[in-house]
Amino acid sequence: MATDTSTATKAAFPCALTLEIPFPDTRLASVALRALRVDKELSPLVHRTLTTVMPSTPSPDVDAGAITPGQEDAVLRVEYKAATNRMLRVAVNSFFDSLALVVEVMQELDEDVVVESHHIRGGGDS
Amino acid sequence: MDTTKKKRRIALGCEGSANKLGIGIIAHDPVTNEPTVLSNVRHTFVSPPGTGFLPKDTAQHHRAFFVRVAKQALANAGVRPSELDCICYTRGPGMGAPLTSVAVAARTLALLWGKELVGVNHCVGHIEMGRAITGAANPVVLYVSGGNTQVIAYAEQRYRIFGEALDIAVGNCLDRFARTLEISNDPAPGYNIEQLAKKGGRVLLDLPYAVKGMDCSFSGILTRADELAAVMKAGGRGPDGETFTQADLCFSLQETVFAMLVEITERAMAHVGSNQVLIVGGVGCNERLQEMMGAMAAERGGSVYATDERFCIDNGIMIAHAGLLAYETGFKTLLEESTCTQRFRTDEVFVKWRK
Repeated sequence: MATDTSTATKAAFPCALTLEIPFPDTRLASVALRALRVDKELSPLVHRTLTTVMPSTPSPDVDAGAITPGQEDAVLRVEYKAATNRMLRVAVNSFFDSLALVVEVMQELDEDVVVESHHIRGGGDS
Repeated sequence: MDTTKKKRRIALGCEGSANKLGIGIIAHDPVTNEPTVLSNVRHTFVSPPGTGFLPKDTAQHHRAFFVRVAKQALANAGVRPSELDCICYTRGPGMGAPLTSVAVAARTLALLWGKELVGVNHCVGHIEMGRAITGAANPVVLYVSGGNTQVIAYAEQRYRIFGEALDIAVGNCLDRFARTLEISNDPAPGYNIEQLAKKGGRVLLDLPYAVKGMDCSFSGILTRADELAAVMKAGGRGPDGETFTQADLCFSLQETVFAMLVEITERAMAHVGSNQVLIVGGVGCNERLQEMMGAMAAERGGSVYATDERFCIDNGIMIAHAGLLAYETGFKTLLEESTCTQRFRTDEVFVKWRK
């Protein structure tokens, strides 16, 4: 979804917020992007843009200019524009709720994690 | 050794259209198509007495419990994500925020595990699970819950709605009356009304009876029941000059609304030429309803089929089962289109898996 930065839009939606959420790798950032962008914003007075981008500052133990494979677009970037601060707050809070769920599912139910926890349970699965 | 042995098909289903979060895993035998329940885990959001569950709090509950319930379902089934054929979720109908909260998690699982998604109609889930558990061949279906009241018969690859509630569902009527009486919502308001009703029976209070052709209406009955509850609290007298109790009110309400359901079900049976009834949905757990429906069906030389609370109350296994049936016919839901909808008519679904 292209970002509309015309002055008309800025006037109509003066309340804006940009969030950058770092993920461990590109795969997980992409999963979050694809899971979260499906649902439209409920209000026509709120615009949301979701993309994945490169980290703006490289991690300290990496050479400046060298990007680790799998880290290219590991940051989820959300841009919110809303007509009022209240609408912005409501939309962003709701986004955080969904994001927290996505992250928890990744943390606890990714394929390797789930198999591991089955083994720890002591071979209960047949 | 037969190295070409077909693998059983397995699906995980996620349900959260109302206050129950359910995740279940089902297997379909590759040769016989026989369904086997591998796991069926549920957690219910119960609101305090005198209140109902609101969308925001319900969605919050589902988000808080999804991982726990999913892990339990996988552990109970002893299944690895790689063994799954698809991830099924409730597309609708139901409450918006709760539906979407579960869909977001289901999408995440599908993406993490590299599986396709199947959006399922909640009502069709109830019907298919009822058919599978009871073995009823081609019954008239009474689907009754807090959110839905429909009389359904299968014809030419659609579940056709023959009659329905015109305003609120029968379960909604019962749940809201439970709030009026401020009785507990644990485990469910309807269950507690049923237990109270068993203590009634001394007097049948006068409530409107609102069958309209093939359809029925409950909001007027609720209004009158609420009025009578106020009379009761003020120490007023019933039609026989005696005071009456919560039990009398619950008994009278059940007898009235259940008789209405029996009437519209019988009307559909006569229309369709069937003598079998399958009751699905949370209100289907009610033993008095089953008894009244059974009496009517027996008079027609038929019988009533019902499932126990594992399956008649909202659950994830019915979503997995109905979803897998659809998936096996080639149906799937693209991730970009895996939204939810509050309104989703039962007859919108093309039932390709039946003749």
